[in-house]
Amino acid sequence: QTRAISGRVTGSDGAGIPGVTVLEKGTTNGTSTGGDGSFSLTVQPGATLVLSSVGFTTQNVVVGDRTTVAVMLKEDAIALSEAVVVGYGTQSKADLTGAVTQVSGREVQNAPVPSFEQAIQGKAAGVFIESSSGKLGQGIKVRVRGTSSVSGDTQPLYVIDGIPIISEDQSATTAATNPIADLNPNDIESISVLKDASASAIYGSRASNGVVLITTKRGKSGDTRFTLGYQFGGSTPTNKRDYLNATEYVELMREAGTNVGRLATVESRLQRYSAGNNDYQQALVNTDWQDEAFQDAPFSQYDLSINGGNDKTRFYISGLYSDQEGILIGNKFEKISARVNLDQKATDKLTLGLNFGLTRTRNNRISNDNAFSNPMQIVALSPISPLIDPRTGLLSGQLDVATGLPNNNYPVYYNPLLSEAGASYVSTVYRNLGNVFAQYEFIPGLSLRSELGVDLLNQEEDQYSGRITARNNGPNGGDGFNRYVVNGRYTTNNFLTFRKTFNEVHLVEAVGGMAYEERRIKANSVTAQQFPSDAYTKITSAASITAGSSSETSSSLLSYFGRGTYSYSSKYLLSASFRVDGSSRFGKNNRYGFFPAASLGWVLTEEGFLSEQNVLSFLKPRVSIGRTGNQGFTDFISRFLYRANAYAGVPGQRPFQLANPDLKWETTTQVDAGLEFGFLDNRFSGEVDVYQKKTEGLVLSVNQPGTTGFTSQFRNVGDLENRGLEFALTTRNLIGAFTWTTSFNTSFNKNKITNLDGQVIEGGFLNRAVEGQPIGVFFGREYAGVDPANGNALYYLNTVNADGSRSRNTTDVYEDAERVIIGNPNPKWTGGVTNTFAFKGIDLSVLFQGVFGNDVYDGSGKFQMANGSNGYDNQTSDQLRRWRNPGDITDVPQARLFGGNGTEESSRYLYDGSYVRLKSVSLGYTLPTSLLEKVHLQTARVYVSGVNLLTFTDYPGWDPEVNADYLASFDPTNPSSGNISQGNDFYSAPQAKTYTVGINIGF
Amino acid sequence: CNDKLDIEPVNDIPGENALLTSADVQAALVGAYDATSSNRVYGGYVQFISELLADDGDFEFVGTFVQPRETQFKAVLTNNSFVSATWNDSYRAINIANNVLANLDKVSEVERKRVEGEARFLRASLYFELVRLYGRAWNDGNPQTNPGVPLVLTPTVAFSAADKVARNTVAEVYAQVITDLSTAEANIAASNGFFATKAAAAGMLARVYLQQGRFAEAASAANRVIASNRYSLAPSYAEAFEPTANTSEDVFAIQITQQDGLNDLNTYFSPTQRGDIEVSDQHFERYEAGDERADFFDDVYTLKFDQQYGNIRILRLAEMYLIRAEGNLRTGGTVGATPLADINTVRERAGLPDLTSVTLADILKERRLELSFEGARLHDLKRNQEQATTPDSPPVIIPWNSPRLVLPIPQRERDVNPNLVQNPGYN
Repeated sequence: QTRAISGRVTGSDGAGIPGVTVLEKGTTNGTSTGGDGSFSLTVQPGATLVLSSVGFTTQNVVVGDRTTVAVMLKEDAIALSEAVVVGYGTQSKADLTGAVTQVSGREVQNAPVPSFEQAIQGKAAGVFIESSSGKLGQGIKVRVRGTSSVSGDTQPLYVIDGIPIISEDQSATTAATNPIADLNPNDIESISVLKDASASAIYGSRASNGVVLITTKRGKSGDTRFTLGYQFGGSTPTNKRDYLNATEYVELMREAGTNVGRLATVESRLQRYSAGNNDYQQALVNTDWQDEAFQDAPFSQYDLSINGGNDKTRFYISGLYSDQEGILIGNKFEKISARVNLDQKATDKLTLGLNFGLTRTRNNRISNDNAFSNPMQIVALSPISPLIDPRTGLLSGQLDVATGLPNNNYPVYYNPLLSEAGASYVSTVYRNLGNVFAQYEFIPGLSLRSELGVDLLNQEEDQYSGRITARNNGPNGGDGFNRYVVNGRYTTNNFLTFRKTFNEVHLVEAVGGMAYEERRIKANSVTAQQFPSDAYTKITSAASITAGSSSETSSSLLSYFGRGTYSYSSKYLLSASFRVDGSSRFGKNNRYGFFPAASLGWVLTEEGFLSEQNVLSFLKPRVSIGRTGNQGFTDFISRFLYRANAYAGVPGQRPFQLANPDLKWETTTQVDAGLEFGFLDNRFSGEVDVYQKKTEGLVLSVNQPGTTGFTSQFRNVGDLENRGLEFALTTRNLIGAFTWTTSFNTSFNKNKITNLDGQVIEGGFLNRAVEGQPIGVFFGREYAGVDPANGNALYYLNTVNADGSRSRNTTDVYEDAERVIIGNPNPKWTGGVTNTFAFKGIDLSVLFQGVFGNDVYDGSGKFQMANGSNGYDNQTSDQLRRWRNPGDITDVPQARLFGGNGTEESSRYLYDGSYVRLKSVSLGYTLPTSLLEKVHLQTARVYVSGVNLLTFTDYPGWDPEVNADYLASFDPTNPSSGNISQGNDFYSAPQAKTYTVGINIGF
Repeated sequence: CNDKLDIEPVNDIPGENALLTSADVQAALVGAYDATSSNRVYGGYVQFISELLADDGDFEFVGTFVQPRETQFKAVLTNNSFVSATWNDSYRAINIANNVLANLDKVSEVERKRVEGEARFLRASLYFELVRLYGRAWNDGNPQTNPGVPLVLTPTVAFSAADKVARNTVAEVYAQVITDLSTAEANIAASNGFFATKAAAAGMLARVYLQQGRFAEAASAANRVIASNRYSLAPSYAEAFEPTANTSEDVFAIQITQQDGLNDLNTYFSPTQRGDIEVSDQHFERYEAGDERADFFDDVYTLKFDQQYGNIRILRLAEMYLIRAEGNLRTGGTVGATPLADINTVRERAGLPDLTSVTLADILKERRLELSFEGARLHDLKRNQEQATTPDSPPVIIPWNSPRLVLPIPQRERDVNPNLVQNPGYN
């Protein structure tokens, strides 16, 4: 009785649309179109086909007697029928009353970056994304609508297929790692960022920083389809800096010595740094040390996915291997990933399934930015020092002929190349991220879903520092460190979903249920010294175990949640949600928090009075208000605790913390007003949102009288707010055979701390959190240039005059200048614009992304832009314009060896960090079906792509997208970490500029 | 479901379960020692601050840290982080001792007196250091009315308005110190490993009496240490400092091991570390020819603290001879031995010839050399009404009773506790 049909789906331009889902209505029987838009399917007589694809209006097609069908899908720029993933369900874009940005998985496919967040940078309004540097696998800062906490976590909650996952730093060092990098971006179907309270409050006490919902791809019934991808390429730094050459260096150092009457000292030092000879006098050696910090950085990736099933069983299976070398010597990130997503229709009412991801990542890490062994710090070495010491024939610094040990006074500092040669730091993660679910449909429209998810992250960090690294590392006999972390988390969600339309106009949807989560982190580590030789690198071989530890922490969360939405004729939209979160972290007097939200929307274009016009195709104002929380602080901080403290080998204990039974979540109340619009048949469409987020009861470490035996206690005291505006616009500039679409988004956010109980929390070099200012403002002395008479560095006094203004007189006494607010690390606005073009089989996508109005402080300035006044570090070439003679007008003071002339922290090293970047370009060609059929392929696309191709900025350092890793990572036990210590550069690696060539074939 | 939220910590333990048994309370006592050994207390700052404030040109501080520099200039700012750290860490140790003392009823009867004695010894030593650093000297004005430091004698179990304590008088603090030390001396046995002993309590008491000018009692207390015959001078001056473990002359020392403890005297004084203190000719000129103590330097750096994992000597037998000698000389007594004999005992160990007669000046000079850089200087300067100088050029003379030789109550502390009156000369 069944009937085989075939067909082709085209766009308005007549070109086939690949990947369109073709479903037999009312069944799970379906397939998707191939590269040329064609499909074949066996259906029941009288069947209706439902054709849907993101970006097109879903269309129903009655098959009737036909055996072939041709369908033209209408492009739908704002994708009103698109299903948007929200908490515990999906909603259609048209009915949504919250602020949600959804990014299609296509946007992150095949991006040559370790973690998907990097691939949506600049694509989502209200979501600020920043990589700390060009190191691979490091933490990435993501801020949804500003920074909502001072001492608590400020990263969003990540939820994959309904299960909140481990996303926090797992590193033993102060430089954060990124567990999100364990995901295979090619497995992602969609990414939803829940921004306002209406969308996010259903995640309660973890929603104040926004929620990122990721869904992975699921199988579609029909023929089994294989998709194979391969790409390869390589990376280079986005920028290099200019340094003094040997001649310029020698001249500067001599000048610096002469100016303080220590020329003889300088000559002897120059001789030392010239490997003990006089080559420096003729500049016979001119080493470009910066070049040595970088390496050829190839990238390759193989991936395969298999997708198919029948009306009972559907599957998606994928595997990926990627191998990416970093631009810095010794840096590498390797990923092996596999996923199985399975759906089984057990009965008409019961569906079972699982989503199962396995990953191994291996990250060859390099030292923190502030370590001498950080390859970038190599730039401090003198250009007169040869790469290979002629006295030993080995790397400079590797051997002191006199002692037989590594040289500890040549070159100027420890040579980071020795770490590449003689040390390793490998972090290996095994990640098991899975969940099973069962869904039972009691009656049409009412179903119960139960999910059980486990996220298990096993991480080993193995470090060995061999003998030649002793100058950096201390022990002469080798130094080993090994640490294991087992971070396990399980979650269960159980909820009822109800959806029904009454009288054809009243659509009611309701979700309600409970969730329980428990996380437990166990870590142990061992440190050892004295190995027989560097051939032995495991601690079992060490003679001396110098430290060891095991530790454990855990928390639990018990929640009840619900959401109801009501829509009248798709015109009037109403939604309300709540969550009750009970957390083991809260004090016993505040065990449960309540987080409600409500929103309204009005689709004006559904009203009769707007039906008689062709200009406006869609208009929906919406408003929302709600409350979310943040519980991103340390476990047990509400408890009365004793801690062990041994004394000389005798165990001891002491009271460590007093109880605060009232401690609770940080509370954010957010108001949002949005307008979604479409003009001229949605040729122009977009949305604009304004919001205000007021956060109260910040969990701060509040000072207590030291006479109590304690100095502080965590209490809910401070307040802050974020206000902002987001705007997103998509225009379809050309349609037809040649299509051109532009997507533009921009976001403005203003952060202000309104109350810190009078406290000032300092961090970074000059950052602070202080009332009345945005978080992390730079507070310091204001540099006023150079006194033309004597070359002294000058600072503005900035003392307060009688009339309240500040004195603009200058002083050469640093301490006499008052500290003032000199900058702000928070961008005023960010934006991105993507242009996509398609013609026949050719597609081109170009993304520019920009960050504006933020300042960056270069903490390395006092060493490498120090006009030779802070030792023998090589200097950037801008120091050539230093003051030399009375009357010289310049901003670089006179060189004075160890004279500290202008090298103190000040606005001298603060720069505008604004930039515009050609973030990504992708040019592809889809081979014509006619050609492919001959080789029995369904689809084939070849492409070239590039990331970070061009950067436009006034920032004089390596790269304006920077956040010195050892300062930037969030540490819940250190109130001045990450959130406050931001916008700093300290020998941080530039971002990677990556080019790849790839091919995807389907068969 | 609610019990699912009752997750118990395991790295740390609930405070309610911490002090249940005799062993628990004794572990807290060890915790009090550890807190006392903090580098900001007896692990270095207490002694270091004393030396820097008292300096009159014997050394130059060449380091980059501003906190010690302010201290040597006798121009300490109220937000000096060393000053607040010493305050906070001292009170942290005091609170632990108070926890021990409040839970003595749980300690087994055989251990109870010792545990009480040790806790009181630590508390008294800490209060004695605090009152000398943050209050005016005993002999400066009226100790009955001069503000000392707040006396907190009960453990803090919850924060409350009562935490905003006022300063007790100098005399009240001294009285508590003497009570605690006397109890400690009575309660602790002569032998107690490297923990406080009967002699340690007596030795500390000798210092307290000396500071108060109660010379007969000082001599008597010092004599009790010497007469215990449990201690003997190391064969040479260097051998009193070079061993990492306690020597035969250590009456009480902070224990530093590779695993535990931080020796901040090593950090600042030793050329193997920061080498921030460069000793000047003025200091070397104080030594007589042949004084072995003058040789215990590496160029301009004292070698007293060269062991990174070396114990920090708080009470040495040599000091007891010096206190007994001074006490006897000033009172005309001969408790234990004559002042001349005691001084010659110390001199002989330094490789110097015996004196034939002894004056107060001889004893004070011997004290200065024997105890150099060990933290006694400020308090000797004050009780003997000497003077310090700043490293300015020319140096500014700072008289013994200058407010600049008294540390400020930390700004941070006054911000959270307005009941604390600031010392003169600070705001």
